[in-house]
Amino acid sequence: MNATPVADGDARRLGQTENFDSLVARNTRLAVGDTVTVRVRRFAPEAGAQLQEFKVPYQRAMRVLDALNWIAEQAATDLAYRWFCGSKMCGTCAVRMNGREVLACWEAVEPEMTIEPLRNLPVLRDLVVDRAPFERKVASFEPWIERVAPYAGFPEPLSHKEMKSASKALDCIGCMSCYSACPVIGLGELTRFAGPAPLVQLGQTALDPRNDPAKVARALAQTDIFSCVSCYKCEEVCPAAIPIVTRVIEPLKARAAVLVPAMARHSNVLRRIVAARGRIDPGALVLGVQGLAALRNLPRIWRMLLRGKINPLRTVLGLKTAAAAAARRLLR
Amino acid sequence: MQVLTTDVVIVGGGAAGCYAALNLHRANVKTIIVCKGLVGKSGASIFAGNLVLGGRLLGNTEENARNTAEFLIKYHNQFLIDQHWARRCGQWIENVYYPELEEAGLYFRRDDAGNVVTSPGKIRSIAANVQGNSGVPFMDLRRKQIIRAKIPCLEETAVTALLCRADGSVGGVFALDSLRGEYIVVLARAVILATGYSDRLHARSTGTREMSGDGIAMAWRVGATLANLEMQWWHTNDAAYPPTWQRMQVYPNPMLGSEKSARMVNSLGNEFFNQQQDDPLAYGPYTVQLKALAKEVHAGRARYDGGYFAGFDHCDAAEVDAYTTYGKSFRQLGLRFPQDLVETAVTAHYRQGGIDVDTQTMASSVPGLYVAGGLGGHSNGLIGLATYDGRVVADGVLGGLDRLAPCELPQAQVGLEQRRLERLLCTRGSEGIAPTELKTRIRAMMWEKVGVEKDAASLRSALGDIETFRLDLLQRMGLTRTARAVNYEWLDAIDAVNMLDACELIIHSSLERKESRGPFMRRDFPDTDNAHWLAANIMRKTENGFRFEQRAYELPFFQPGFATKNNLEVAW
Repeated sequence: MNATPVADGDARRLGQTENFDSLVARNTRLAVGDTVTVRVRRFAPEAGAQLQEFKVPYQRAMRVLDALNWIAEQAATDLAYRWFCGSKMCGTCAVRMNGREVLACWEAVEPEMTIEPLRNLPVLRDLVVDRAPFERKVASFEPWIERVAPYAGFPEPLSHKEMKSASKALDCIGCMSCYSACPVIGLGELTRFAGPAPLVQLGQTALDPRNDPAKVARALAQTDIFSCVSCYKCEEVCPAAIPIVTRVIEPLKARAAVLVPAMARHSNVLRRIVAARGRIDPGALVLGVQGLAALRNLPRIWRMLLRGKINPLRTVLGLKTAAAAAARRLLR
Repeated sequence: MQVLTTDVVIVGGGAAGCYAALNLHRANVKTIIVCKGLVGKSGASIFAGNLVLGGRLLGNTEENARNTAEFLIKYHNQFLIDQHWARRCGQWIENVYYPELEEAGLYFRRDDAGNVVTSPGKIRSIAANVQGNSGVPFMDLRRKQIIRAKIPCLEETAVTALLCRADGSVGGVFALDSLRGEYIVVLARAVILATGYSDRLHARSTGTREMSGDGIAMAWRVGATLANLEMQWWHTNDAAYPPTWQRMQVYPNPMLGSEKSARMVNSLGNEFFNQQQDDPLAYGPYTVQLKALAKEVHAGRARYDGGYFAGFDHCDAAEVDAYTTYGKSFRQLGLRFPQDLVETAVTAHYRQGGIDVDTQTMASSVPGLYVAGGLGGHSNGLIGLATYDGRVVADGVLGGLDRLAPCELPQAQVGLEQRRLERLLCTRGSEGIAPTELKTRIRAMMWEKVGVEKDAASLRSALGDIETFRLDLLQRMGLTRTARAVNYEWLDAIDAVNMLDACELIIHSSLERKESRGPFMRRDFPDTDNAHWLAANIMRKTENGFRFEQRAYELPFFQPGFATKNNLEVAW
């Protein structure tokens, strides 16, 4: 099988070529007459969970949803799974196929598939998850526009340049694939991180220049957005191809740094140090983030000194490196 | 069983239902939305590809404005429309619709210089965020407006029956919360049915999973009069494969920022339809396409279920990608875009007809029962029209509310409905069939006998099949298990009963209209007959069945200009 070259700059598709996992490959792996082996994770509150295997005849251009429909019509008519539109618009049919989040209506079947419900949400039955926790989070952000200036009338002054990031977020169909893939959400109660899908929903209005910054600040304050570790898992699985980290989460972090500086203390201090010195100074960073309270932890200071992590002399003198000018230019 | 009380209960969470709820909320009327799917996510409204400009909006000329009106009346409704309503709707779209949406935050696609991007041509349109996906941010905005207004929504909850007062007026609904498996009764002073215009009644249909003709079936049971139920619209170029993508359209409408639109070729590779060249006035050229396809099918160069192709191979990819999502399905199939074409097929789309309404108030023939959006029997398609219905119905309900008392719990009806649903919640024996099988059989039969082209013989045979389905398959229908929560099989069983009723009504209406008109094609009556059939085909329930009546349309602004003509030779 021939691999198709990755489109220039499409980082999210790296790795797929080596696995022969291009769109062409995925669409030509099977032919009519082949059998698709589908293992579905069945779950009922009264009976627990188990994997059930089905042999499904391959149909032309078959999607995961076609396989589920076949099962629900021919083999297990009580299979519980959610879908409405079947064409990547309603965002209700996301499942995990062989461990990765896919929109069932959009993804080509694989010869052997294990289909499971999304993670990080309560499972109600089989592949149906409870959307309520996600919906509550989105609603808590009050995701609508509040204007500072009165509306100027149709069409109001606005350019796509100003809307570029919000426009990407508006492609979101609320399928929660990214919410399932997010490792920080997977940590459960350890953080208060809102998660990628709610942040994209927030980004639709928070990155809209028409919105009142005070209102955006109130919403951002609830997101714990700096718990995002920028692992790009969300971008990788997004069926709407939204650059979630680069065009939504990073811009939202930048907004938070300005509008709710207390949230972004670590980032702001780091940025200030790098801009001033052209390099990171761990001593200055700890002091900047924790203040003088950091000095109370003597054993830790001692350990850091011994390992050469901090250099009090350099911290106090505020020595610059030759890169300082370049860093300032880049961070401007 | 939970009993809720409100002023107005709205069934359906699409463009019409949401806008009705928001308008009633503004007037301090308490409402509850009951939605079989998810408000703003299920149903047809999210499919809106782009939004038509009416009147003198965004530099529209007088001629553009007239073209839009002419398109709506001729191509979109084949003159089966109240032209006075159309005029009021046009004025509202010009003065209220766009400013209100934008003020609420909807993003109408701009270029980098700040100009709203339009499609050129005789009729112009714009997009919410991106062409091909406008319905998604549009309905997402509605969902959030509903949340902001704190309007209660019962989602994934199927209304299974309308409840009546002793005098026969409608004052509530009986519903099944499908996730919890619990019954809910909502009592109100008025009910607005807004369950949409697309049903999944044919083997190929743009209707979404949950759509099964519920609105038609439930309204008929309480005695509502129907209109033009036979007037079924078709998409002519939806993906033939995979089955899940049967409602994935290769949009034929003009593209934003381009002079071109999709073209269609037959099995020999010859182009047979290109909107911008063949009929620029047919902005949404679905019927023109269908007629062009019918000629290809008759000549053996295409089939209604495939064997012809559509795409953008005459365009640059950059041109299509600039403001549209149109390349997405091609690329996802691993095709080269735009060089490759995709195989396409016909799909049942809107039903032009529906429940007969007074277009001033959206009141049905049954007191207390109002209808908005595609379910109404008065117009067709376009998210702007459905939204306007939401406004008219809100005003209509407000005007009639003081004549409607709060509804008392109708114990006997509730008991009957509960017993009906409990009977459907039974397991099947060895001779039994699954509800999905019955649904599949109904859809296959409708495709074969009540499809694009039909005649008295095929329609009579379809009625015979309905009878057999009722007497045999329906009696043997049963489920795998009787758990109440998240039991989609139970919903399928409830759907199947509604589908049988809706299909039967559609078939009778199709037999009655003895002509061909636009997308309604009778082999035995091939002419468009304005002398006898420029009229609403009204189906009225009587004590022992039903009877048909005609109601002529006024033609104040546009007239067809001929008495009879072969339908395939009529442009619209």
